[in-house]
Amino acid sequence: MKRGRTLRVLSLASLALATLAAAVWFYLPAAAQGPTGPIKIGVLYDLTGPFAAAGAVPGSIGTKIAFDMVNEKGGVLGKHKIQTVAGDSQSKPDVAINEAERLLNVEKVDILLGIYSSAIAVPLAEKVDKQNRLLWITIAIADGVFKGRDLKYTFRAQPPGSQFGQLSTRFIADYAQERFKMKPEDVKGAIIYEDGPYGSGVAASGEAEMKKIGMKLVLKEGYSANTPDLASLVTKLKAARPDVLFHTGYNPDITLFLRQAKELGLRVKAIVGHGAGYGQYDKLREALREDVDHIFNVDPVASQLLDPKNYKPAELGKIRDEFLARYKKETGVDQIPPHASMGFNNTWILLTDVLPRAIQKHGGWSPEAIQKAALETDIPEGGTIQGYGVKFAGPGHEMRGQSLRASLVIMQYIGGKTQIVYPKAISTASPVLPLPATSPYAAR
Amino acid sequence: MEPILIAEAAINGILLGGVLALLALGLNLIFGVVDIIWIAYVELVMLGMYAVYWLVTAYAWPLPLAALAAVALVTVLGLLVHLLIIAPILSSPPVNQLLATGGLLFFLQSFATFLWATDHRSLRLALPILEVFGMFLSFARLLAFAVSLLAMLGLYLFLTRTYMGTAIRAVSQDREAMALMGADARKVYLVTSGIGGAMAGLAGALLIIQYSVHPHFGAAFGPLTFMICVLGGLGNMFGAVVASLLMSEVISVGGIITSTEMAYVVAFVIFIVAIFVRPEGILGKRE
Repeated sequence: MKRGRTLRVLSLASLALATLAAAVWFYLPAAAQGPTGPIKIGVLYDLTGPFAAAGAVPGSIGTKIAFDMVNEKGGVLGKHKIQTVAGDSQSKPDVAINEAERLLNVEKVDILLGIYSSAIAVPLAEKVDKQNRLLWITIAIADGVFKGRDLKYTFRAQPPGSQFGQLSTRFIADYAQERFKMKPEDVKGAIIYEDGPYGSGVAASGEAEMKKIGMKLVLKEGYSANTPDLASLVTKLKAARPDVLFHTGYNPDITLFLRQAKELGLRVKAIVGHGAGYGQYDKLREALREDVDHIFNVDPVASQLLDPKNYKPAELGKIRDEFLARYKKETGVDQIPPHASMGFNNTWILLTDVLPRAIQKHGGWSPEAIQKAALETDIPEGGTIQGYGVKFAGPGHEMRGQSLRASLVIMQYIGGKTQIVYPKAISTASPVLPLPATSPYAAR
Repeated sequence: MEPILIAEAAINGILLGGVLALLALGLNLIFGVVDIIWIAYVELVMLGMYAVYWLVTAYAWPLPLAALAAVALVTVLGLLVHLLIIAPILSSPPVNQLLATGGLLFFLQSFATFLWATDHRSLRLALPILEVFGMFLSFARLLAFAVSLLAMLGLYLFLTRTYMGTAIRAVSQDREAMALMGADARKVYLVTSGIGGAMAGLAGALLIIQYSVHPHFGAAFGPLTFMICVLGGLGNMFGAVVASLLMSEVISVGGIITSTEMAYVVAFVIFIVAIFVRPEGILGKRE
């Protein structure tokens, strides 16, 4: 009797256990899965128009490679595939805003990613944030995107424009004594820039830094990137006689300026460019041959120049090499521009750091979940393929949404190769400074 | 500012004026005769630039030969534009004509993007540097200016010394009367469009020496060219040359006295004032 009751209790208990197990089996995976379906990302770059060849297209290819590499492994966390919808902002802010509207409200993407031009990013960020939608900026650098706006859903791991002018000025000040035999205060600098938010932002930061160091600013002048003529600006520069020329521009204007500067006999000790057109070494060399040698460029580093030994974790080196190999295969270029790394790296950070945490910890990929996950991002220096770390400024910060760990380098085109020359700690070559006599721009 | 540098800016301004005049002349000739504004004119110039670029870089043609080929090619394009787009809408309202040539502009930009991508392409030329009395002059500009001058002279002689040229001028003065007198307006239109195309091709060949070509090249020169045509008096060739020189001097000398941006502001203010005072253009005929 006693045995029979025990058996009955046991069988009831096992039935209950089995039911519980079944329930757990049915429920648990669903709970861990969170939202289902693919993650839909709208990708917005200038695929046509003048910005396309000034870095927007290389950036878009870098981004595409990041998506491909993640999707081939099953998607984010190995199971959430990414579905992209491309938009073309045509190098025009009004078109960009319409395209963003289409991607967000017709295509109903979860995230809007990309943006090359600051002229587009500045108006767009505010509009997207007002709709409580997520904007992940990969390339545009202007401070104006974030400064004093308290944007909740816009993020950028890329360094801000103010760092560009600062770094180039400090670089010249650091080397003034050794290479020019001059005190930094005696160096005469001239700043010329395209007059959109990108150029004027970089120019303003350079001017502020020069003031701080006490360097002499002999000319500061903007021009429209579409201008058909820069001869009078060159003549004016000749009258101002700067030692160093700090230039920020896109592409047709940089080529035009360097050509006219050569024809009209502008002579300086150094030319320092700040990204965009100056990052496109292949294009500059095509137009100007070896005249572009020894020109400096301030940019987030082109990842192929970094020593993979400094990456933490070490597997980043493999990821970087895979990206570089794919980029070369896709484009056939010899010198991979920094914009390709920016497009890849800043997308990679979203896909492999922010989104996994948003899904696992905050329940999915809603703007709310992603912004929470982004604010928890804490990548140390050496943790991305461009070497910098990532830590986004949070609520209450003047630059909320901007990464505070982003950093830049100064590269120089030496003998057909790009080298890192500053900061000294990670340089691959010593800067050639002042311009050697072989340069048509060299002071005599 | 040292006087020598102001002189340098003034001379470079004249040279820029030569290039702008070449662009404005072809457009103005077509407007004067056919009475239609080819909004897509600078896009034809862009095609001329591409033609020279590809012939020189991909097929290793010598530059002068490539330039001649570009002139021939764009002449044919000018004829095609007239036959396919302009001729069917000759009697349409002006706004339709503008829309049609505007459509051609977008077509040509997109087509160039499709064929050659958005890359900026430049010829790798090593041009000599000219230093005269301490002033530096652009060799490419000097060459462009000289060729422009020759082209203008040739056009002037053609219009004044040949039967066809006289017919073209007659049509531009009174199209109805010419038709009543039995002149073949269609032939006159066709020849004019061909010449307009040839001028665009020539401008393209001269511009590729100093500028990179890309599908949106028109953005740099288009607005300025139209402004010059209107300022000089639409259809008035001599006015176009005067307006080109005026604008380029304002941009060059104004640029060094004030700033590059301010010089354009001044140029546009002059334009607006001139249009208020003389709506027919500085050398246009009052009607």
